[in-house]
Amino acid sequence: MRAAALRYRVMAYITGVLIIVVCFVGIPLQVAAHNTFISNDIGTLHGFLYIVYVVVAYMLAQKLKMPLWPTILLLLAGTIPVLTFVVERWMNRTYIAPALAAESAPSQQPVSR
Amino acid sequence: METPDSTPPAEAEAYLTGQVVPKASGSDHAEFDPPEPDDDPQAPSGPVWRFLLEPRWLGWHLFVVVAFWGMLWLGDWQFHRAVGGNGLSWAYTFEWPLFAVFGVVFWARTIRDEFHLRRGGVTEADLVAAAMAKTMASLPSGAMLPAGSLPDGMVVQQLEGPNDAAEDDPELAAYNAYLAKLNAEVKGHNKWLRALHS
Repeated sequence: MRAAALRYRVMAYITGVLIIVVCFVGIPLQVAAHNTFISNDIGTLHGFLYIVYVVVAYMLAQKLKMPLWPTILLLLAGTIPVLTFVVERWMNRTYIAPALAAESAPSQQPVSR
Repeated sequence: METPDSTPPAEAEAYLTGQVVPKASGSDHAEFDPPEPDDDPQAPSGPVWRFLLEPRWLGWHLFVVVAFWGMLWLGDWQFHRAVGGNGLSWAYTFEWPLFAVFGVVFWARTIRDEFHLRRGGVTEADLVAAAMAKTMASLPSGAMLPAGSLPDGMVVQQLEGPNDAAEDDPELAAYNAYLAKLNAEVKGHNKWLRALHS
């Protein structure tokens, strides 16, 4: 669980940074200076790393037994600038931290009635 | 809690000192006995696959179909750009179909999980009760819930006394084991219900 969460977070930061570079540096450069290096080459690099992101994020979602639509949001987050970081924080708060806490205290509390 | 004379004066709050149970099986809960692993007490009427035609599932199917063809179309568009001389598009020509296949695999797994769950003979009310029981066990005694925060079909059953020797009651132990088993099943499969109640 901890390893899966770490893999996800690493990939989230990498794809998140790359897409911000592409959108906020590469595209202005392409438009203003007709320099297509960043938007093309970094863009393609992001494309391939996004495949890795999708696989890693999907494996984490399966481990966490996440509901359907949050999983879809998680997978799409790698394609939208800035949202990657927002979703990473939300993932940590909503799913990863509770799961890690439950993992470290696995004893089931008895239910009285 | 459900008897008229013990209704709290303020409708807005209810003491959480009882056990949340499904209305159907919970009205006379002293008679509760956990089902055997093999029997299927509340088998839904009709074939199991009927759930695939529920509106929320139809919406999911539609979403997958549109996404699948959309991604193939994008791959085709990139292919034409690549043939037209844009070398970078070759990468995306293969990437889009990959994503399309991934979407179909994801869709198939949601359906497989749901079949698993429904063949287990566990009703939604049982699952909600199991989830609520786990939540309540983590609350301090005397915690309050706003009225109406219980899911439909759930009632609070009053405790006889706080913390009476629970461990010695074999019936209670069996019931707790049943709840733990349900909880494990909820964790495993019930994505839709968790989405609705989270």
